[in-house]
Amino acid sequence: MLKVENLHVSVEGKEILKGINLEIGAGEVHAIMGPNGSGKSTLSYVLSGREGYDITEGRVLFNGKDLFEMSVEERAWAGVFLAFQYPVEVPGVSNIYFLKAALNGIRKFQGLDELDAMDFISMVKSKMKDLDMDEKFLYRAVNEGFSGGEKKRNEILQMSVLEPTLCLLDETDSGLDIDALQIVAEGVNRLRDPKRSFVLVTHYQRLLDYIKPDYVHVLAQGKVVKSGGPELALELEEKGYAWVDEKIAS
Amino acid sequence: MSVTHLPNTHYTSLLSAHTNNLMGQDVSWLKSLRKKATEAFSATGFPTLREEEWRYTNISPIEKKQFAVAEKPGKLDAAFVKTVLLEGCYHLVFVDGFYQAELSSMDGLPAGATASALSEGLSEHEALIKSLLDSTVETPALGFVNFNTALFTDGAVISIEENTVLDKPIQLAFISSKEAALKLTNSRNLVLAKASSKASIIETFHSVEESCHHTNVITEVVVEPNANLSHNRLQAESLKAYHIGGVYSRLENNAIFNQSNYTFGANLSRCEIHGTLGEASDCTLNGLYVGQDKQHMDNHTRLNHAHPHAVSNEFYKGVLGDSSRGVFQGRIVVAQDAQKTDAKMNNRNLLLSDRAEVDAKPQLEIYADDVKCAHGVTVGQLDETAIFYLRSRGADKQTAKNMLTFAFANEMIEGLDFEPLRMAVLEELLKRFPQAGMKKEWL
Repeated sequence: MLKVENLHVSVEGKEILKGINLEIGAGEVHAIMGPNGSGKSTLSYVLSGREGYDITEGRVLFNGKDLFEMSVEERAWAGVFLAFQYPVEVPGVSNIYFLKAALNGIRKFQGLDELDAMDFISMVKSKMKDLDMDEKFLYRAVNEGFSGGEKKRNEILQMSVLEPTLCLLDETDSGLDIDALQIVAEGVNRLRDPKRSFVLVTHYQRLLDYIKPDYVHVLAQGKVVKSGGPELALELEEKGYAWVDEKIAS
Repeated sequence: MSVTHLPNTHYTSLLSAHTNNLMGQDVSWLKSLRKKATEAFSATGFPTLREEEWRYTNISPIEKKQFAVAEKPGKLDAAFVKTVLLEGCYHLVFVDGFYQAELSSMDGLPAGATASALSEGLSEHEALIKSLLDSTVETPALGFVNFNTALFTDGAVISIEENTVLDKPIQLAFISSKEAALKLTNSRNLVLAKASSKASIIETFHSVEESCHHTNVITEVVVEPNANLSHNRLQAESLKAYHIGGVYSRLENNAIFNQSNYTFGANLSRCEIHGTLGEASDCTLNGLYVGQDKQHMDNHTRLNHAHPHAVSNEFYKGVLGDSSRGVFQGRIVVAQDAQKTDAKMNNRNLLLSDRAEVDAKPQLEIYADDVKCAHGVTVGQLDETAIFYLRSRGADKQTAKNMLTFAFANEMIEGLDFEPLRMAVLEELLKRFPQAGMKKEWL
């Protein structure tokens, strides 16, 4: 589904990613772990198309297509979704309007008609219930005045409404208490599907207690320094990121 | 500072040519008021850029166009009238400055309310008209006010009796017909909300086609003690029109006045919203101006906190695209006796293009020492992070920008509690976002 080949990325002349290789198959869950400054967030932003990143080398193929040839919205239409570490507040745009505009943008691309208003509302409401979100959030401005946990839940709500095929979750666990983490993790687990892949970008292992990855990659200083199964996350948790630094040094 | 310049001879001669044909020729006080205004205008003419209050708005195109006076109402398509009349209102309709009884409807107006055209109500309501006319405009009156006083052809006179609550808003619809092209119209409205009454007035301005015409309309408002008056203004004239408007109000003790002012139309527009606040009165001024192409939109507010304990809240937002230009000058004067004044003024502008421009100038003049006054002005562009966020969810770039622009503007509309007006204003706003993605039925 996603193939990252020798990806080099610079920000303002400073190289952040120094040759990333990753291959993510359909239905797989990959965790990308790493200390602060390792380039985790850069990777997820570059994949979603944010401006301000220079791709100096390498390429990314999404279902065989060059991802960097696609605009931000084209990536969304094709099924790429980034759950933001810091979801953006959009004053004046209600959540329900936002979701409709997003979903209809995607449906238009897929050649489908706009969803009927009543069907849409009941679909969204049932997904909100799954995420233990109050319906009043539908009519509030997107993320405005939401707590950290509410914002993260709202990201997962968007993800479950838009049904992307590649879900990038950037530090989704940060700012969540244990209850909220479980609800969010259940929301993600409900979306697991043989046709849908996940990339969980996280500093800590705790999210992975609830969302079991198939593969774990350790990112340090802009490179994948180690890849393995779920046991790698536990090893990291136990030994800490200093252990990674030692490995790089050696 | 004294300003001297030559008054435009075209408009001065219009005054002398037309004043004898106007309503109220047999009413001596009105005749002499018009004469006085004619003389005052002849001495000053229209304001120029050299005057501080007019330094951002050049009205010389109005002088160059040499508009003629509209002498009779043009013909209208009934279907057009329907599109501008709001449901659930009483209606007074004026075409090219003349009252149109057959298009108006005041059926069911409660006994405690008077609402009629000046031309029809002059004899019956002469004392009321006399008490209101030219009573709220401060001196020295502006050139456009004098011009209007000298030449107004018609307008509305509205009075709400004590303790009367008007059941529906009164809409004053001012329509410029095809025949108004290259002509000017002068209308004058007088509104009195007597003690403890409550009413809502809506003024709307429309053009039948994209013609160049000039509207000069002034509304004088008196809100007596404990009365609550809402006044809304929607200017949606032709993009070639020249619109000069004014709302001059006097709030007596404990009066409540809510004014909202929506500017979408006209090539050049200037609106004066002035108020003098009595003790413990409460004045809210909201405004939105949305400019495109080369539109020039100037809003001037001036609040005189003349007495203690009054509260004023002023919030104006501007959205300026293409090569449009916005002007906001907000002036608050707090007199020495006006202790415990609470005055807030906020002006926020969104520039959608690097050719768009705004001149924002808040002015506070405070002579009292125990007051709360705050003002803020911002000029900014759309938030790139928010655009990225919306696009990352599947909204195309233009839709994302439209959504954010719409949201910025809608803040000034969503608070309108009279739904037909809210929808009418919303419709004008959405007309400015024809590209894609903004859907009324989703809102």
